[in-house]
Amino acid sequence: MADKKSYRLEIPSSQNYLAEADRFLESHLKEHGIDDDSIADLAISATELINNAIIHGNKSDPHKIVTIELEFSDKHLSISITDQGQGFKPENIPSPISDDNIMKEAGRGIFIVRSLVDDLQFEEPPEGGTRMIIIKKLAS
Amino acid sequence: MSISTHEKDGVVILEPEGKIMGGPEATELRNRLYELISTDNKKVVIDLSHVEWMNSTGLGILISGMTSLRNNEGELKLANISEKVANLFEITKLDNVFEAYDSADDAVGSFA
Repeated sequence: MADKKSYRLEIPSSQNYLAEADRFLESHLKEHGIDDDSIADLAISATELINNAIIHGNKSDPHKIVTIELEFSDKHLSISITDQGQGFKPENIPSPISDDNIMKEAGRGIFIVRSLVDDLQFEEPPEGGTRMIIIKKLAS
Repeated sequence: MSISTHEKDGVVILEPEGKIMGGPEATELRNRLYELISTDNKKVVIDLSHVEWMNSTGLGILISGMTSLRNNEGELKLANISEKVANLFEITKLDNVFEAYDSADDAVGSFA
């Protein structure tokens, strides 16, 4: 079985740490030879989910953290964003492209992530919170 | 985030630089737009040639700026949208909402 390589970063629930999270992800993606176009799509997607984790998950509570984990295997890479909130129901999000919602300022994040990555999964870890997992297939 | 501002033919051109992801850089762009609106500027172009990418926070700021300007009888137009940003506009159908031009000069000229 091929080795798995993983990286982890914890940030406080403040958007002031978004740039640090982006640097962390982009540098490791580059190290692993991911192309610039895919890095941008993954960074856009990850920062969407980190914003969700900070604002909707942890309600910007500075005592709660957001954990970002990046894992490479031989067939895919995953980026997991875990908050310490009350859980999240992705099926409750209205379509941002309907006529009623198109001019709204917010509500596009998850829709954008689903469009940019191969898969987006949601888990409820036993310790609580929500884990959102971006999956990108790697060319073999 | 560095945001340069200049004026041409009565149109204010904002030129943000970097990534718009939701942190202090997003607040700065939002505040700069509101400053312009509150001082009664009605013709604004955002030149995105130096914006590598943005996420939905950036899109939200653009929508909010456009709506606020329209409510004030003004107009927001965009110029030099990168491939990454254009792709997000397509995904979210905002390409039908924003007026976008290939250059800041073309965007300024469209106000004439």
